[in-house]
Amino acid sequence: MAKQTFTTGQVLTAAQMTSLQQTAMGGGSTTAKTTSYVLLAADAGTVVQMNAAGATTITVNTALFAAGDSVQIQNIGAGVCTVTAGTATVTTAGSLALSQWEGGQLYFSSTSASIFFDIVQATGMTNPLTTTGDTIYSSSGTTPARLGIGTTSQVLTVAGGIPSWATPAVSASGMTLIKRAAFSAVAGTSTTFDGVFTSTYKSYMAVVEYVEAGTYTDDLQLQLIYSGTTKAATYYGTTVYSTHVGGPTNLPSNNTAQFTMANETQMAGVVYFNKVGNTSQTAAIYGVGQNMAGYGPLWWGCAQDNAQLYTGFLLKSSSSTITGTVAVYGLATA
Amino acid sequence: MTTLNEMIEIIKAENPTLQVGDDEQGYTQLSAADYETQIAEWADARLTKETKAAAIIQAAADKAALLAKLGITADEAKLLPS
Repeated sequence: MAKQTFTTGQVLTAAQMTSLQQTAMGGGSTTAKTTSYVLLAADAGTVVQMNAAGATTITVNTALFAAGDSVQIQNIGAGVCTVTAGTATVTTAGSLALSQWEGGQLYFSSTSASIFFDIVQATGMTNPLTTTGDTIYSSSGTTPARLGIGTTSQVLTVAGGIPSWATPAVSASGMTLIKRAAFSAVAGTSTTFDGVFTSTYKSYMAVVEYVEAGTYTDDLQLQLIYSGTTKAATYYGTTVYSTHVGGPTNLPSNNTAQFTMANETQMAGVVYFNKVGNTSQTAAIYGVGQNMAGYGPLWWGCAQDNAQLYTGFLLKSSSSTITGTVAVYGLATA
Repeated sequence: MTTLNEMIEIIKAENPTLQVGDDEQGYTQLSAADYETQIAEWADARLTKETKAAAIIQAAADKAALLAKLGITADEAKLLPS
């Protein structure tokens, strides 16, 4: 109901009271405009609604409204409707350009000055997130931007002043754990330590924390793996061992199907691998250990005389299962 | 002397099944064919090792018998020119 000038003794109808009630509650019936519109004095206290597909304006002129008058302005059309200062001023902290479903209250502080209070902020943040794990950051000033989730094991870092997900750099120095595995009563570790040799490192160290065979008097044997194939030939080397009562004794591997590392399998030690994982090369295997059954040291030196791109190794016993824990490290070159 | 087939049966009794893997990846039981191959390989290796050990023991016994026949001790034998 438009603003009224009531007179003494005037009787309001129920319809008028209902309309006044709607207006007092911030509502009020209206007929939507479909073209640009210039506010009239009769619009005071009413809802002016725009519904147009294209851009429109609602113009505010002076000498029509009194201080304290207000007009609700709504845009339900797809076209942007702009509240435009005609001869009156229009002040706002928000935007006068109303997108669809936006609106506000135009309040007159004087007959020539109005303030537009946005109900919906035209410049509210648009949600940039699209994918589970996305995060938001400020890309330029306060502009929100999406940072898509990274991949497994990536870490959040900063590059060029903005956050990003990055794969941690391989340590430039020192020793990096590639894999540590415990195995129990297996026929061999063929499926466990394949893939540990890559071009990332030139030298690898396998710490045999402990290995024992089901039958401890069995030999402990080592073979290299390439392309999923176990190399079962051309091992040339020797294991030299002593016991608490004497030695040393040689345990040669002379063009054998595996390198024999001990004649008893209850041992710990450190095995180094070179010339593996990078190009097709003959591999070097060497190290030292302790025979826990024979109570004496073990020294290993072996060449795999057939050049391959070796990708891993396996440990096995000569005639029973093995149980143990082995950790493989890559040794950086700098 | 244990035969190969006897040794295979011994090792099969010790290992009714065989597996590969580790605690992290889990374990996979060997197929029947792989199981038989592995058992045969182990039996052959164990027989070879037993044969070598028996040969070493026999050689030591033969040496001791010869020294006894000659009437000299092992330390005295070390004094003989090679």
